[in-house]
Amino acid sequence: MSENTSTTPRPDRVTLFASCMVDQLAPDVGESTVEVLEYLGVMVDFLDDQTCCGQPAFNSGFRSEAYPVAERFVDLFEKVNGPIVVPSGSCAAMVRNYYGDLFRGNAELADRAKRVGDRLFELTEFVSQFFGTDAISGSRVGTATYHKCCHLLREIGVDEQPIEMLTNIDGLEFSPLERADVCCGFGGAFSVKMPDISSAILDEKLDFIEANGSSTVVAADTGCVYQMQGGLRRRGSGVQVVHIAQVLAESIKNSDSPEVKR
Amino acid sequence: MADRATFIAGVTAGLGRTEVLLPSSITETASFEDASAAKAKADKAATDASERSNELADQMAEEATKAGWKVHRASNSEDAASYVASICVQKKATSVLRSNHDALDQIGVDAAVTNTGATLEKTEHSGDYSQDQIEVSKSKAFSADIGITGVDYAIAETGTVVLHPRSGLSRLVSLAPPTHIAVLRSGEVLDSLDELFAMERNDFMSGELAGSMNLISGPSKTADIEGTTVTGIHGPLEVHLVILADS
Amino acid sequence: MKPLTVNFRSKAAMTLADAQIQQSIEHVYTGFYKGRLTAAGDTPDWEDLRTKGKAIKDHTIAHLDYYLGLLADNVEKNGGSVFFADDAEEARRHIIDLAHKRKIKTVIKSKSMVSEEMGLAEAMNDEGFETVETDLGEYIIQLANETPYHLIAPAVHKSRADVAKLLDDDYKDGDRVPDATELTMMAREKLRGVFERADMSVTGVNFAVAESGSIALVTNEGNGRMSTTVPRVHVAVMGMEKIIPSIQDLSTMLRILIRSATGQRISTYVTMVNGKRRPEEEEGPEEFHLVILNNGRQKLLEDPQMRESLNCIRCGACLNACPVYRKVGGHAYGWVYPGPIGAIVTPVLTGLKDADNLPAASSLCGACHDVCPVKINIPRMLLELRYRTAEGSTDKDERTSSATERGIWKAWRMGMMGRRRFDIGSRIASIALKPLSRNGWLTKVPPPISGWTSTRDFPAISMSSLKSRLRKRNEGSK
Repeated sequence: MSENTSTTPRPDRVTLFASCMVDQLAPDVGESTVEVLEYLGVMVDFLDDQTCCGQPAFNSGFRSEAYPVAERFVDLFEKVNGPIVVPSGSCAAMVRNYYGDLFRGNAELADRAKRVGDRLFELTEFVSQFFGTDAISGSRVGTATYHKCCHLLREIGVDEQPIEMLTNIDGLEFSPLERADVCCGFGGAFSVKMPDISSAILDEKLDFIEANGSSTVVAADTGCVYQMQGGLRRRGSGVQVVHIAQVLAESIKNSDSPEVKR
Repeated sequence: MADRATFIAGVTAGLGRTEVLLPSSITETASFEDASAAKAKADKAATDASERSNELADQMAEEATKAGWKVHRASNSEDAASYVASICVQKKATSVLRSNHDALDQIGVDAAVTNTGATLEKTEHSGDYSQDQIEVSKSKAFSADIGITGVDYAIAETGTVVLHPRSGLSRLVSLAPPTHIAVLRSGEVLDSLDELFAMERNDFMSGELAGSMNLISGPSKTADIEGTTVTGIHGPLEVHLVILADS
Repeated sequence: MKPLTVNFRSKAAMTLADAQIQQSIEHVYTGFYKGRLTAAGDTPDWEDLRTKGKAIKDHTIAHLDYYLGLLADNVEKNGGSVFFADDAEEARRHIIDLAHKRKIKTVIKSKSMVSEEMGLAEAMNDEGFETVETDLGEYIIQLANETPYHLIAPAVHKSRADVAKLLDDDYKDGDRVPDATELTMMAREKLRGVFERADMSVTGVNFAVAESGSIALVTNEGNGRMSTTVPRVHVAVMGMEKIIPSIQDLSTMLRILIRSATGQRISTYVTMVNGKRRPEEEEGPEEFHLVILNNGRQKLLEDPQMRESLNCIRCGACLNACPVYRKVGGHAYGWVYPGPIGAIVTPVLTGLKDADNLPAASSLCGACHDVCPVKINIPRMLLELRYRTAEGSTDKDERTSSATERGIWKAWRMGMMGRRRFDIGSRIASIALKPLSRNGWLTKVPPPISGWTSTRDFPAISMSSLKSRLRKRNEGSK
């Protein structure tokens, strides 16, 4: 969990870190994230120059390539104050838990990185910590289940909060996914470096999703969303995999007061 | 070719040092607790076992049953002896082995067994056995139908019986025959592993650590074939626990 | 055991295609993993125990030289002998020589991963000693002439029919498959005579207690008890890291080991041995020998990034939690230790060059770290080894990444170092892939990501970035 305590007053302004994947592959998720935050009365700034936190190269072992990209991230985001929100548990984990290893040997940069990381939150973490899991209501009719993305669960420590948020939505019939906390097999570059293993792990996940019977699977990391959606499509399944930001944003649009809460 | 000094010197170097560093005290390991601390812990465990003997016996009965012991609460020695006899009859035992625990003398196990027609194998207790004697006894143990022991301790938390070796034959008595009967007396039950190892450590610190110790928590089992638990493999297939009430 | 780590990908592929093994490996999840979860949930101070266990192991390894000396002194004080072996060959040679000197005929082995490192059973059989594995799972794989599939359940991949073929000479395909109980009784009968005639045993060591010179064995079957009681010579083999300082520490370590391994609160048997039999005992070994093996653990010790792996108490929980292990099985890892712990120690102990696929075969889900009784941060060490194979090792043979891969990440970095090129690069990719996409999805993508579309559809890259979307949105709201 992040450094901020519950006694900290609710932030009214944050900087959005999209993550490279949301920025270029799934900007809808980014827009939904902004809509959710604005609904909560939070103003959202976007740093135009942002690119990536460096995780893909770091996870593949190419730290010399990840280093400058990550340093650039720190340079950029330390110039703003206040919380930084990212709709991705894995990117949050990279900045908070792995920048220390990446910047090993440069204590000063590691320290600057830590200070940025201390005010960086994943989206559902941010909402549940500062506004509560019941802060967003509205409606979104349909059956849904939730997959617990690994980094959000184990590196950031967000477990049931997104489920509480989902069950707070009118008309959403939630049923828990069996083996929700077992990996979907994405793992970043692993999904293409060892596609047979990644797909075998995915197959098991999709079997449980199909057994669950929900029409929507909700998850909080775009990579996992694509892994599962891509696999379901290939099976000819009509099940939709949606990022939680989009579910919350849709629900807000259907609420009694979809305008900005003040 | 490794010798101790070179091997350990290599480990020292691997740790980035040139000399062995004496460890400083950390709370998580008990190795820095001295003899009096060890004794205090053991005394407390013993007192507890005695003061709460009824409660612990009840807990033991419950946990031992869960662990797969067939538990018999004996109201007195006669009851205990007659239970032992009934198992001998049930198993059509011809050869029965016993250990040198005085709980067994207390309940009169010898007569109970021989009265069923089974042969009670006792082993010599004169010490300093020859290899031939050992082989003969081993053979007796492997062909016995039932082995009967007392206990040194029991652990209520897990339904465990704790055996130290006795003179003569004792380890094999609870291991080789397909049926094992353990006789437990009031006051022998400890709460948990913590208390057991407190007793053991105290024994060690006073120079009296037993040569070996076996913790037994039910009949032998395995799940090595298709993850299916099967009761009864190399150790006893059936284990009985006779809990003797306070007299 | 000869490392075959270089075969990881092909072995993994074979296992993925084997429906029967896939079904069998499920047991490690439905049985062991679920068992551990329940046991941990039922233990109120579980997290404290893990913290304590980690502290005990950290402390012991940090002072391993001291505790090795203490252990050896105390084993000898109890009348036992200690042999320090630099490598597997030395250890094997010592045990074989001992067996010759003592005119041993039959050797029983109880489960020991260290003895697998030495290939001991095979070597002793070759030397003419009847050497039999007595743990049921190990016995089955010995008969099958295979290596262990799992740390705790070595034959987890075998079906009942497989086992029937191994235990019953008369069994043929098409016969009724005996149930697990029948097969287990067959094994009991076969091994009973072996126990009785064994004159030497080789056991592993779950914990060696330095302060008293004791060893502790955790078993369920009774073969560990047979091995410490019946033969006249008992040899215990251990990796040099398997030490704990105090007898009292056993209550912490046994709790976390056993619950983590199988979910049991305690194993059927826990045996503590303090040397050979005492004079008044009419049973038990005449001699106790402890063989302490280095066999490359030196490299883990010297390596501050990898040293934590020496804390491992070999419970197997990480295997049971690992989505990769549960698909590729134990043999793919190519050596004694499979699963996440294998992925970090095997490369260091047997050579990173041939074992580079092991740390790569992970989605970094972190389940292993979550379940480890002593909180070993396996993901961190997987990342460290990936760094070494990609570019970080000072040994160029270990830097196995291809020029193509290095080129890809260089191009990636260049693309991420400026917003304009980040946008332009993405738009170019988006346009290039557009002809291949239907309804926002592609069924084929080019290398280096072509592996994706063998089994999954790939999302089209957006025509507009979030930056431009938000710009439009802000303009719109003015």
